[in-house]
Amino acid sequence: MTLDAVGLEVMGHAFASIAEEMGLVLIHSAVSPNIRERRDCSAALFDAAGEMIAQAAHIPVHLGAMQESVAAARGLAPPPAPGDIFILNDPYTGGSHLPDITLIGAIEVDGAVGGYSVVRAHHSDVGGVQAGSMPAGAREIFAEGVIVPPLRLTDDVERFLLANVRTPETRRADLAAQRAAVKRGAEGLRGMAARYGWAAVREAATDLLDYAERRARDALGRLKATDLTATDWLEGDGAGDADLGVSVRVDIADGVFHVDFTGTAPAARGNVNCPLAVARSAVLFVVHTLLPEDVPTNGGVQRAVRITAPPGCLVNARFPSAVAAGNVETSQRIADTVFLALAAGGIAVPAQGQGTMNNVTFGASGWTYYETIGGGQGASHGAPGPSGVHVGMSNTRNTPIEVLEMDYPLRLKTYALRRGSGGGGRWSGGEGVIREFEVLAPMEASILAERRRHAPRGAAGGRDGERGSTCLNDVPLAPKVSVSLAPGDVLRLETPGGGGWGKPERGDNG
Amino acid sequence: VRVGVDVGGTFTDLVALADDGTIEVRKVVTTPEDPAVGLFHALDPLKPPHAVELLVHGTTIATNALLERRGARIALVTTKGFEDLLWLRRQDRAALYDLARDHPPPLVARSDVVGVAERTGPAGVLEPLGEDEVQRVVAALRALVPPPDALAVALLFAFRHAEHERRLVAALREALPNVPIAASHEVLPVFREFERASTTTVEAYLRPKVSAYLGRLERDVRARGIGMLRVMTSSGGTLSPGAAAGRAASLALSGPAGGVIGARLVGAAVGLPDLLTLDMGGTSADASLVSGGTPLGDGGGVVAGIPLALPAVLIETVSAGGGSIARIDEGGALKVGPESAGAVPGPACYGRGGARPTVTDACLVLRWLDAQHPLADAVRLDRDAAEQALSSLGMASDASAIAAGIVAVAAAVMARALKRVSVARGFDPRRMALLPFGGAGPLFGCQLAEALGMRTIVIPPHPGALSALGLASAAERVDLIASFHRPLDDVPSGDLGAAFAPLLEEGRGQIPGGALLRYADCRFAGQGYEVTVPVTGDDPRRIREAFLVEHRARFGHAASDQPVELVNLRVVALREGPLPRFADLRRVVQRPGASRPITLRGARVSASVWALDELAAGVTIAGPAILAGRNATALVEAGWRGMVHQCGAVLVQRT
Repeated sequence: MTLDAVGLEVMGHAFASIAEEMGLVLIHSAVSPNIRERRDCSAALFDAAGEMIAQAAHIPVHLGAMQESVAAARGLAPPPAPGDIFILNDPYTGGSHLPDITLIGAIEVDGAVGGYSVVRAHHSDVGGVQAGSMPAGAREIFAEGVIVPPLRLTDDVERFLLANVRTPETRRADLAAQRAAVKRGAEGLRGMAARYGWAAVREAATDLLDYAERRARDALGRLKATDLTATDWLEGDGAGDADLGVSVRVDIADGVFHVDFTGTAPAARGNVNCPLAVARSAVLFVVHTLLPEDVPTNGGVQRAVRITAPPGCLVNARFPSAVAAGNVETSQRIADTVFLALAAGGIAVPAQGQGTMNNVTFGASGWTYYETIGGGQGASHGAPGPSGVHVGMSNTRNTPIEVLEMDYPLRLKTYALRRGSGGGGRWSGGEGVIREFEVLAPMEASILAERRRHAPRGAAGGRDGERGSTCLNDVPLAPKVSVSLAPGDVLRLETPGGGGWGKPERGDNG
Repeated sequence: VRVGVDVGGTFTDLVALADDGTIEVRKVVTTPEDPAVGLFHALDPLKPPHAVELLVHGTTIATNALLERRGARIALVTTKGFEDLLWLRRQDRAALYDLARDHPPPLVARSDVVGVAERTGPAGVLEPLGEDEVQRVVAALRALVPPPDALAVALLFAFRHAEHERRLVAALREALPNVPIAASHEVLPVFREFERASTTTVEAYLRPKVSAYLGRLERDVRARGIGMLRVMTSSGGTLSPGAAAGRAASLALSGPAGGVIGARLVGAAVGLPDLLTLDMGGTSADASLVSGGTPLGDGGGVVAGIPLALPAVLIETVSAGGGSIARIDEGGALKVGPESAGAVPGPACYGRGGARPTVTDACLVLRWLDAQHPLADAVRLDRDAAEQALSSLGMASDASAIAAGIVAVAAAVMARALKRVSVARGFDPRRMALLPFGGAGPLFGCQLAEALGMRTIVIPPHPGALSALGLASAAERVDLIASFHRPLDDVPSGDLGAAFAPLLEEGRGQIPGGALLRYADCRFAGQGYEVTVPVTGDDPRRIREAFLVEHRARFGHAASDQPVELVNLRVVALREGPLPRFADLRRVVQRPGASRPITLRGARVSASVWALDELAAGVTIAGPAILAGRNATALVEAGWRGMVHQCGAVLVQRT
C-alpha cells in the first residue's frame, strides 16, 4: 500500500474517466440500434496482469466476465505484443455468448504491454441458423453463429467474420466504433503514464485493486452466512419444456463470498447453458448490491468472490453446448437464486424482480433486430420496486418507437406499464411492461424469456409478482420459441411484475 | 450602459458595461421569494439608471422550478396506447446496484394524461384523427379536476407529420383560450418520442411561472425607463421577454450559459478562442468548452432528473464547490462532496455553525485565502474553526497536509468533469487554455491545468461575476430546428435551400438584421448520434466533407465510403453584442503588497499578494502568488508566470 487516502481518490477518478471515454466513443459512433440506442455494451481497462482496473457502468452481465477475455488473449502463443488488438466471441475461450463480440487492445506503454483496453458489444447478428443469432431451438453452439476464438484482429479475420453474417455493413461499422473505443482507452492510459510516470500509474492500479478488495471484504465480513441454500427454476431450454434447477449454497467467511453450484441441473440440450464466467458475473452482481455504492467496480471486488461448480453442469457448460440464453436468462436466474439463499439466511435483500430480459429478435434476409424488455423490480425493505425497468444482469435501454418504425418493418401497437402486475406487500413490487408489435413483412422471430410459469417471489410475506406471457395473435407461446411471422401478425409480450416486500399493512402499501 | 444581472442561488451579480469600457460590478444577496427584488437592489443604485439601454437577465427561475418541483399543474395529451411513455422512460434503472432507487417521477400526474385515438407512422397517417375524437379529448381535458394550468401535446411521429398535433392544439386553444399549450412539433421537432415528450412537458410545466415572472419584470423594467430587457437562454443567446415566455424550457440553464458566454468573451479579448472553462461555485463546479470562439452545444441534457433535449451550452456539473464537505470513507479514502454545507451553515470557517470540513476550509488552512480579507458575503474567516473541522477527520496528518489532500481530491473531481467535456468528445485540452472562474475556481487553475497537460490559464477580470459580464455583452440569439431526415446523397441542392428557407425567414423575423447561420446534424447512416456541422452553400458534398473531418476528430474514425444522412437542419439567428473594451482607469497596481506564507504541494512558501481587481496591464507576476480580488481569489503556483492583459485578464503560463 503506497497510495494515501488522497492518491486513491485522485487516481481512481483518472482511471474511471478513461473507461467512460471509451464507452462514449463507442455509443456515439456505433451504428446498430442495439449498441447506440440500447447501449448493450461495456468498456473496461485492465492491468497487464489481467485484473480489471476500471469499468464504465453499463451492463452487469459484462462486469465479471470480461476478465476471461483478457485471460484468453494473454494465453495465446505468441503472447500479446504492444499494440495488438484481439477479437473473440467464443464462450468457451473468454466469451459469454456468440453475439457478444469482445475486442481486447494490448496497450503499448514504454515499449511493453502496459494493460488492456476491452470493449464488449452485443452484435444483433453473428450468423447462425436464424436471423438475430438467438435461435430458441439450438442444440449445439454451431447453430448460434460464427465462433471466433481469440484471434489477432487483422483485415483477413474481419473479412472472414463478415462473410458469415447477414448484415456485414452494419457489423463492419460497429466493429470500427469498437476499435476506435479500444484505441481511445490506450491513449488514455498512455496519457496517464506521461503525466504521473508509468511506475506511479502501475502502483496506483495495484493499490486501487487492494482498496476495492478491502472495502468488499469489510462489508461482506459484517454479514453472517453459513450454508445458505436455495433452488430456483429455469422454464425449459428451448429444446424441451421441462424445468431445470439452479441450486446454490452460499457461505460468507473471512470476508469472502463463496457460491457453490453443486446440485444444479446438468448441461441442457438447448441454449440455457452458460460458461462459468457468466455465473461469476451473476454472483458478482449480487455482491455489488451488498456493498456501499462508492466501492469501485474493479477486479479487487472479484478477489472477495469464489465460485465453484461441477464441470459440465448448466452453469459451467462444456463445448459444444448451446449458450445463447445462458448469458441473458440463466444469468438472471443465478442472481435470483443467490438472493433467495441470502433471504433464507435473514439478510435483507430485495424481493425477486422480473428475472428475465424478455429477449426478442426479429429478422429476415438483410436485416436483424434485437431488443430486451424491462419489467418490475422487486420491492426492497423501505421502498417499492421501480416499474418498467431492467432488473438484475441487464440495464439496456429501449429502442425508441420512432427509431424502431423508421428502421424496421415493425409497428408498435402498445407500449405501456402492466397495471397491477407488481406483487402487493408493505412495499409493492414494480409493474411489468406490455409491448405489442405488429408485423409488416414476412420475418422470423425468436423469443427467449422466463417467469412464464414461476412467478417472481415476494419477500418477508410480500406477494409474488405476476408472471409474464408471450402471445402470437392472442395464442400463448412457450417461454423460449422461434416462429415465422407474416404481415398482420401481432406479437404481444407482457413482462413479469416484481415481488412485494413484507406483509401488507392497512393503508400502508408502497 | 449595458447591464447584465445574474441571479444565482445565493448572490445576485450585476455588471454594468459603459461605452468607454468601464466596468462596474455589484453583488447583492438573492431574494428567492421574488428574484426581481434582489435584481432591482443591485440595479437601482446605478447612476443614472435611465442610461441603461439594455438589461440582460440570467435567471434560475426555470431551474429552481424544476429542482423544487414548483411548476404548473399540467396535463399531457398523447397517442392512445402510449400514455405511459414518460413512466417507461428508456427502461434503464436509476442505479445499477441500488435496487431500491427509482427515477424522479414525471412532471405530470398519470391521471392527467389523455390518450388520443390516432396514429402516425414514418410515412404518414396510419389511423386518422376524427373530429369526434378531437371533441372527446377537449371534453376530457375540460373535465380534469382541478383544471390544469398548462397543456403538453406530444403525439408519435409529430416531429415529421405534425398535422394531428396541429389540429388538436387548434381545437384546444379555442376551447381553453387561457391555458398555455406546448406542442412537441413546435418545442422540439426531432425524433425519439420519450425525450421529445419529456421536453414538451417541461415547456408546459414552466411556461405559466416563467411568463408571469418575465411579464412582471418587463413592466418594472419599463417603469424605470430602461431601454430593453432580454433573457439568457441555455444555448447562450438572449431572447426578448415575450419570446422567452413561449420558450420557457430553454431557460433551464440560463445561469451557467451566461458564464460560458463570459468566458468566451474574455477568450476573444485575449486572442484565445479554444477554452476549457470551469465555474466553481458554492456547491458544485460546472465544466464547459469553447471551440473556435463558439461554446460547444449539447442537445441531450437532463435537468433535475427530467430529460430536456433542447439546444444548450454543454455543461458538465460535478459536486465540487467551496462548500463541498470532505470525509473519510470506510475503506480509508478521502472523499469530497456530494454533500455540501451550502450557504447555511456554510464552511466551518464562516462561523455560522458549520462544523464539518469543506474545500473552503482547506483553502483557508493552506492560507490561499486570507482570514483578514472578507469574502463576497462579508464574513470574516475563522482559521481555528477550519483547522478544528479538518482535524475532525481523524487523519494522522497535520492540518495543512489534510487540507492539501482535500484540495487535491476536489481537483481530481473537477479534472474528470473537464475531461468529460474535452477528451471524451475528441477535443485535446493540451491545445486549449483553461479559464477558471467563480469565487474559488481561479485557486485551482494551475492544479487543473497540470492534470490536463495544459500550458495556459486565463484568469478573467472579475472572475466572481463573469456570468453577469457574459450577460452584459451576450448576443441576441434564436435557435431554430427542423427535422430533415434524408440520405445526403439524395438531396438536390435546391431541396436543401428550400428546406432552410422557412427557418431563415423565422430567424430574420425574430432578429431583424441579424446574422443567419446554417447548420446540419449529420451522421453515418444508421448511427444514433449526430454531429452538427456548419452549412456553407447548398452543395451536399461540402456538408459531407465537413462531417467526415468532424467525425474523425471526435471519434477517431470516419469511413469515407459510408453513406451519410441528414437528420436535422438548424438555423441560428444572431446579433453579436459589442465586445467590451475592458479599459479600466482604476487598474493601476504595479507591485504586490506584503507577501504571505502559504502551503503549496506540502511546502511552506512565501507568496506575493496582489490586488486582482486593480492590476495594471503589462504587470508580470511570478508564482507563487496570490491574487486577491473582491469576489474571487486566484493562485499562481511556482513554475507558472502571470502577465496582466490590457483587458484585465491575467494570462498565466508555464515557465
